[in-house]
Amino acid sequence: MLIAGYAALLLSSLITLLAFAGLIGFSDAAVDWALLSDRYFHSVLLFSLKQAALSTLLSLLLAWPLARALYYLPELPARRSFLSLCLLGFVMPTLVLITGLVALLGRNGYLTPLLGDNWNLYGLNGILIAHIYLNLPYAVRVLLQQLQHIPDRSWVLARQLKLSPWQRLRLVEWPVLKPSLLLLSGFIFVLCFNSFAVVLALGGGPGATTLEVAIYQALKYDFNMAEALTLAWTQLLIAGGLFLLLNRAGSSRWLTADSMVRGNTPPTAVWMRQIHRAIYLIAWGCLLLPVLALLPALFQADLLRFDWMALLAPTLTSLSLALAAALAAMVLAYLMLFPIRHSHRQRKARRRLLLEWLSTHALVAPAMVISVGLYIFLLQRIDLDRWGIAFVALLNMAVIIPFAIQQLKPRLLQYDAQYQQLSQSLKLSRLQQLRIEWPFIRAAFTATFALILLLALGDVAIISIFGGDDWQTLPLLIYSYAGSYRITEASIASLLLLLICAALVGLLERVKQDA
Amino acid sequence: MLEIDQLTVKRDQQTLRYQVQVEAGEILAIQGCSGVGKSTLLGVIAGFVTPTGGSLRWQGQDLLTRPPEQRPVSMLFQDNNLFEHISALDNLKLGFDGPPPLRAIEDAASSLGVSDLLHKKPATLSGGQRQRIAIIRTLLRPEPIVLLDEPFAELDQQTRGIASDWVAAIARQSDKTLLLVTHQQEDVTRLADRALVL
Repeated sequence: MLIAGYAALLLSSLITLLAFAGLIGFSDAAVDWALLSDRYFHSVLLFSLKQAALSTLLSLLLAWPLARALYYLPELPARRSFLSLCLLGFVMPTLVLITGLVALLGRNGYLTPLLGDNWNLYGLNGILIAHIYLNLPYAVRVLLQQLQHIPDRSWVLARQLKLSPWQRLRLVEWPVLKPSLLLLSGFIFVLCFNSFAVVLALGGGPGATTLEVAIYQALKYDFNMAEALTLAWTQLLIAGGLFLLLNRAGSSRWLTADSMVRGNTPPTAVWMRQIHRAIYLIAWGCLLLPVLALLPALFQADLLRFDWMALLAPTLTSLSLALAAALAAMVLAYLMLFPIRHSHRQRKARRRLLLEWLSTHALVAPAMVISVGLYIFLLQRIDLDRWGIAFVALLNMAVIIPFAIQQLKPRLLQYDAQYQQLSQSLKLSRLQQLRIEWPFIRAAFTATFALILLLALGDVAIISIFGGDDWQTLPLLIYSYAGSYRITEASIASLLLLLICAALVGLLERVKQDA
Repeated sequence: MLEIDQLTVKRDQQTLRYQVQVEAGEILAIQGCSGVGKSTLLGVIAGFVTPTGGSLRWQGQDLLTRPPEQRPVSMLFQDNNLFEHISALDNLKLGFDGPPPLRAIEDAASSLGVSDLLHKKPATLSGGQRQRIAIIRTLLRPEPIVLLDEPFAELDQQTRGIASDWVAAIARQSDKTLLLVTHQQEDVTRLADRALVL
C-alpha cells in the first residue's frame, strides 16, 4: 500500500510536471524576465494580491459576528438549514452565483436602481461580492466549530469570576479562534488569489485581472507562452509558498464534520440577542438573494416550450465527468495518505510536510496552466478530439484531490492514533485492517465524496480548454448562454445545476448527521 | 526462556536499564513507582519502543530485529484495546491466524460475566466491562508471550479476584509466559510466580 501511495503521489506530480513540460517545450518558451519590470505585470500582480487580501479580510470580518450569533443562539429558527446553505454557498458553481449576481446587481438587476448611478458590478466590486459570497459561509462554519470547542468549564469559570463581556471575548473566545484564523485566512487568500471564473466574468481590463485570468488571456488571445510561463511561476511561487507556510503552521479541519456538536450555551444580554437575531436574518437574506434572483426567469420563460433536451446532454456529461473524477480522486487520495500516515507515525516531520505539500500542490498550481500545458503536451501525441474528455476527468480529479486529502486526513490520523498499535499487536492482515477501518471512516469518506463531487460539478476552467462541441457540461453551457445574453436560459440552467448541488449538500449533511 | 540482557532505553533525559530472565510458562509481576519504566519494558518486548542497546531473546532467537507483527507476543495496553466502532464479539474474533475459537470465547465471557455484552459496541460498556473483554482476547490469542499493562485497574474487588484467577488458570493451562504490570500486591500473591521491582 505504501508503494501504491507513492505511485499515486508520483502520478499527481507527473500531471503538473508534464503540463509545465508542455508549456516550456512549446517553441522552447522560456521565462520572460522583462515582463517582471512591465507595468502590466505589476498591475495584475497588485490587483491579484489586493482583491485576495480584501476578500479574505471582509469574509472573516463578516463571518465572525455571524458565527457568534449561531453559537450564542442555538435555538435560532432553521439554524441547521442555514448551515447547509453555508455549505452550498462554499461549493456553489461560480457561474451559478455569477448569473444570480448579474440578475440581482447587474446593469438591469433587481436591486441596481437602489444603488445609485455610479454603481457598477463589474470590477473590484463584483469580484469582492462574489468572493465573499463563496468564502464567508465556509469561514462561518469553521469559526462556529472553533467556538463550539470552548469547554463548558471555561464558561462556568467566567461566570464565577464575573468577567465582563470584553474579558470573556478576550480570555475565552479569542484563544480558541486565534489558532484557526491564520490557517483560515491563508486558505481563503489562496482560493481568491487563484480565482478564475469569478474574475473572468466580473473583472476586466488590466485594472481588474488576476494572474490566473492573465495566464488565460496570454494563452488564448496572444498565444504568448513566455508570458504565460512567467505569470504561472509567479502565481505558483506566491500561492505555493504561502500554502507551504500554512502546512507548517498546522492543519485545519476543512468544512468541519461536527459543526452541530455543542455544549451549554453561555447566557447573553437581551440587547445582544436582538443583535445576533438581526445579523442572522440579514445573513439569510444575503445568502438567498442571488439564488432567488434566478427564479423570475422561470416565470418569464415559456417552460413548456423551453428546450429542456438542450440541458439533458450537458447535465449527464457534467454528472458523469464529476462522478469519474470524484471516484478516482477518492481512491488516489486514500492511497496518497498511506505514506503521509506512515511518516506521521514515524515522526518524520520533514518528510510528512513534503508529502502533504505534494499531495495538495494542485490547490496552488494554476489550473489554467495545468490544463493548457497538458493540452499542448498531449496535442501532438494523442487524438484529443477523441480522448479529451478523459483528460477533463483526469484534471478535475487532480484539482479536487487536495480537498479529499484534507477531509480524510484528520479521520485517518485519528484512527492511527487510537488503533495503530492495536492493529500491529493483533497482527491484522491488510484485508482485516481495511474491513475494520471502513466503518470508522465511512461517514467521513461519504461526506468527502459528496463534497468533491460538488466541486467537480462546478468546473469551468478545465472544460473551457479541453471542451468541444460534442460534450458540453452544464457550467460551460451556462457560460455560453450568458455570453450570448440569453439570461433566461442561463438562469434556468443555473437553477438546474443548483438543484443538483443542493441535493448533494442534503446528502452530505445527512451523512454527517448519521455519523 | 525470555532473556532481557543489558537492555537500555532512552526516554526524555534519562536512560532506563533492564536485566531480567523469565522462564517459559512463568508469570512475572512487574512493580515500581510511576514513571520508572514498567510500561516501557512491555513496549520494548512488544516492539513498539526501540531500545538503544542490549538484547532481547525468546527461546534463543533475537526479537529486536522483528517488527511488532512478527513477535510471538499478545499485549493488553493501558487503553485503546478495543475498536470502538465494532461489536465486542467482533473485537474478540481478531488476532487469530485461522478461525477464532468461538467456544473458548463464549466460555471465557461466561466466566468473566460479560456474555450478555458481546453484541454491544465498546462505547456503550463500562471501563471494567471493556477491560474484561480485552483481557479475554489477549489471553486466548495463540501467542506464547502475554504482556498485561495494569489489567485489573478498572475492576472492583470481587471482579478483580475472578479475573485474576481466570488469567492464572488460562496462562498455566496454555503454558503462557506472562508479564504483568501491577500496583497491587494482591495481584502478585494471587497470580504471579515472582515479582520484579524496578
